[in-house]
Amino acid sequence: MGQPCLGFALLFMLFLQAHAAEAQTPTEAPKPAPRLPSGAPDLSGVWMGGGGIAARNLKPGDTIQLLPEAQKVMNARQSKDDPEANCLPGGVPRMNPYPWRMIQTPTHKPETHIFILFEGNIHSYRQIFMDGKHPDDLDPTWYGHSIGKWEGDTLVVDTIGYNDKFWFDFDGHPHTEKLHTIERFRRTDLSTLSWDVTIDDPGAYAKPFTVQTKARLEADWELMEYICQENNTNILHIQGPARVR
Amino acid sequence: MKFRLGVFMVAGLLLPVTQAFAHHSFAAEYDEKKVIVLKGVVTKFEWTNPHVRFYVDVKDENGNVTNWDLELMSPNTLTRAGWSRHALQVGDQVTVTAYMAKDGSHRGNARGNVTLANGKQIFAGNPERGEIK
Repeated sequence: MGQPCLGFALLFMLFLQAHAAEAQTPTEAPKPAPRLPSGAPDLSGVWMGGGGIAARNLKPGDTIQLLPEAQKVMNARQSKDDPEANCLPGGVPRMNPYPWRMIQTPTHKPETHIFILFEGNIHSYRQIFMDGKHPDDLDPTWYGHSIGKWEGDTLVVDTIGYNDKFWFDFDGHPHTEKLHTIERFRRTDLSTLSWDVTIDDPGAYAKPFTVQTKARLEADWELMEYICQENNTNILHIQGPARVR
Repeated sequence: MKFRLGVFMVAGLLLPVTQAFAHHSFAAEYDEKKVIVLKGVVTKFEWTNPHVRFYVDVKDENGNVTNWDLELMSPNTLTRAGWSRHALQVGDQVTVTAYMAKDGSHRGNARGNVTLANGKQIFAGNPERGEIK
């Protein structure tokens, strides 16, 4: 009895996936990216996706080349120890299947902050200082210290001061406190936010690499509550090395 | 009323596992090759983070009852996919396809449709987000 049910379910899922792909096919020219009254790019909105260091998103020609010590760290990692599985922050640029909101602070004065509010893992936020410099002696933190500037229509975010606790992905790609990220956000049309991230960590990688990702506007969504710590029974059942193949 | 329990292996037909399906690695907890179809009665429905859970009493052919702990997506994702905290009620008769836990516990990750006794089907995922497997 079970196999025909599963067969049907799989066919149904395939149909839905095909339908979803069809629905995503653009039928008209994208609308242009909006601007603030000041003329500056308007990146605000609820976005879905982007981020991560998946190999498929690497800038052409780039590679993720671990140093031997970092490779050892990665090889030893167990899935149950993934901070994200333990409801700790994902750091940068790891993302999750939940939306996030970009908030700008345009006033009559030059903007001072840009905030990113995360719905998911873990209902947290980043703050990007638009009028500051990195302090000299930073306490290492999960999201580091971010300063932003505009290069034309691109928001460039420079972040240092990371701790070494978060993983880049489920596979356990590591980093050190030497991590320095440079993110480039550019709203290429109304519904698309291009988000490139350069990972520069001489403590873990032989050379910098860049991932090129995109987030999609969810114009009708609001952020919802997501409190991972509420009932995380998964962690009692997760097993095996981080790199499960 | 008859309850049936079926465990079988699936190969080749499964859609690729998406890495971004949840806050933890799917493969670290569930076996995508070990799929079970469960038919039974809902004993509890937990609308909680990070995963919504429902528990189902399943009786095997010898009359032994096992309570299964079945995982869904998070409340936020399920809400956007049309679910609500009222979607399942204690006492509902359901049929569920699930990926079994690797640790041998009576725990599964529900996928495909949750089918109620009246034939109503609730999709256990969000197809538009590529979160189905």
